[in-house]
Amino acid sequence: MLTPKRVKWRKVQRGRMTGRAVRGSTLTFGEYGLQAMEPCWMSNRQIEAARIAMTRHIKRGGKVWIKVFPDKPVTKKPAEVRMGAGKGNPEFWVAVVRPGRVLFELSGVEPNVAREALRRAAAKLPIGTKIVSREEA
Amino acid sequence: MATKDFKLNIERRDGVGTTGSQQVRAKGRIPAIIYGHGSDSQPISVEAKALDDLLHHGGRTTLITLVDGSKTETALIREVQRNEVSHRILHADFQRVSANEAVRAKLSVVTVGAAVGVKEQGGVMDVITHEIEVEGPASRLPDNLEVDVTALGIHEHINAADVKLPEGFKLITPGDTTVVLVEASKTARLLEEAELGLEAPAQAEPEVIGEKTETASTSE
Repeated sequence: MLTPKRVKWRKVQRGRMTGRAVRGSTLTFGEYGLQAMEPCWMSNRQIEAARIAMTRHIKRGGKVWIKVFPDKPVTKKPAEVRMGAGKGNPEFWVAVVRPGRVLFELSGVEPNVAREALRRAAAKLPIGTKIVSREEA
Repeated sequence: MATKDFKLNIERRDGVGTTGSQQVRAKGRIPAIIYGHGSDSQPISVEAKALDDLLHHGGRTTLITLVDGSKTETALIREVQRNEVSHRILHADFQRVSANEAVRAKLSVVTVGAAVGVKEQGGVMDVITHEIEVEGPASRLPDNLEVDVTALGIHEHINAADVKLPEGFKLITPGDTTVVLVEASKTARLLEEAELGLEAPAQAEPEVIGEKTETASTSE
């Protein structure tokens, strides 16, 4: 699963997810991509599940790019603990995704295989997505 | 080769800036600008559907005749801005160009044929450079550049200098830029690792930059 190797701070504030993705909103490497239509915190588990769904479908062949990285730690307080006494412990990592962000890219496979692989990946994600291709752009 | 004759009706517009552009878009038109040939730049508007059709039929790099009433001028589309989410066209840039003028343009790369490295050796073809910049007569700019990859084996590549350009065109992109590459399949390796259970173990907490470790603090 994707996690940072080194961080400057163990815990960070939540922040806001307003606006659209301006950077990372176009296809840069592959022929097909999956674009986010809604904002979300995408966890490293969700990213990994989507990647596995894609690579299992395309089997041997094709190339996959993951264009988001979960670099934001999310903390949680343990169950049945009273409020206060400081911030909880880091539990998992998320990528802050805004509408328009290209999440995954694919190349080197037939168009129908690429679309099905991306459809399967989309099923693992918590938001609505759209399949984009270089021909349409 | 570009033999199509594209025509686009334009209208001069006075409203500029965000408000002016939004008013133009509300009427189903796209705000655009035309510049070049030493004349002043002129804000114009074009019909949204006509511009969309033109881009879908190879007008991205082809010489276009802009019709403004009885006046006509030839131009090239230089930039198209789109909404990141809906992909709707927001604005277009046109550059005045005469038919025989030498212009620079970025042409998209289209691969032709099936590579030997993919068909027989189980490799994966990857287009590294999706656009190649060339210079040549505006009237003969092709829609795209075809790159024949049939003879490409595994771990072999084609450089920009190896791409066959139409007559009268010269390459602007550095010749040693890799355009197409056939490499070993990484997804196959990942699948094998997953089957054997060789996936990398989940890492514990990452190292915090500047934080002293327990051993370092006790030794001090």
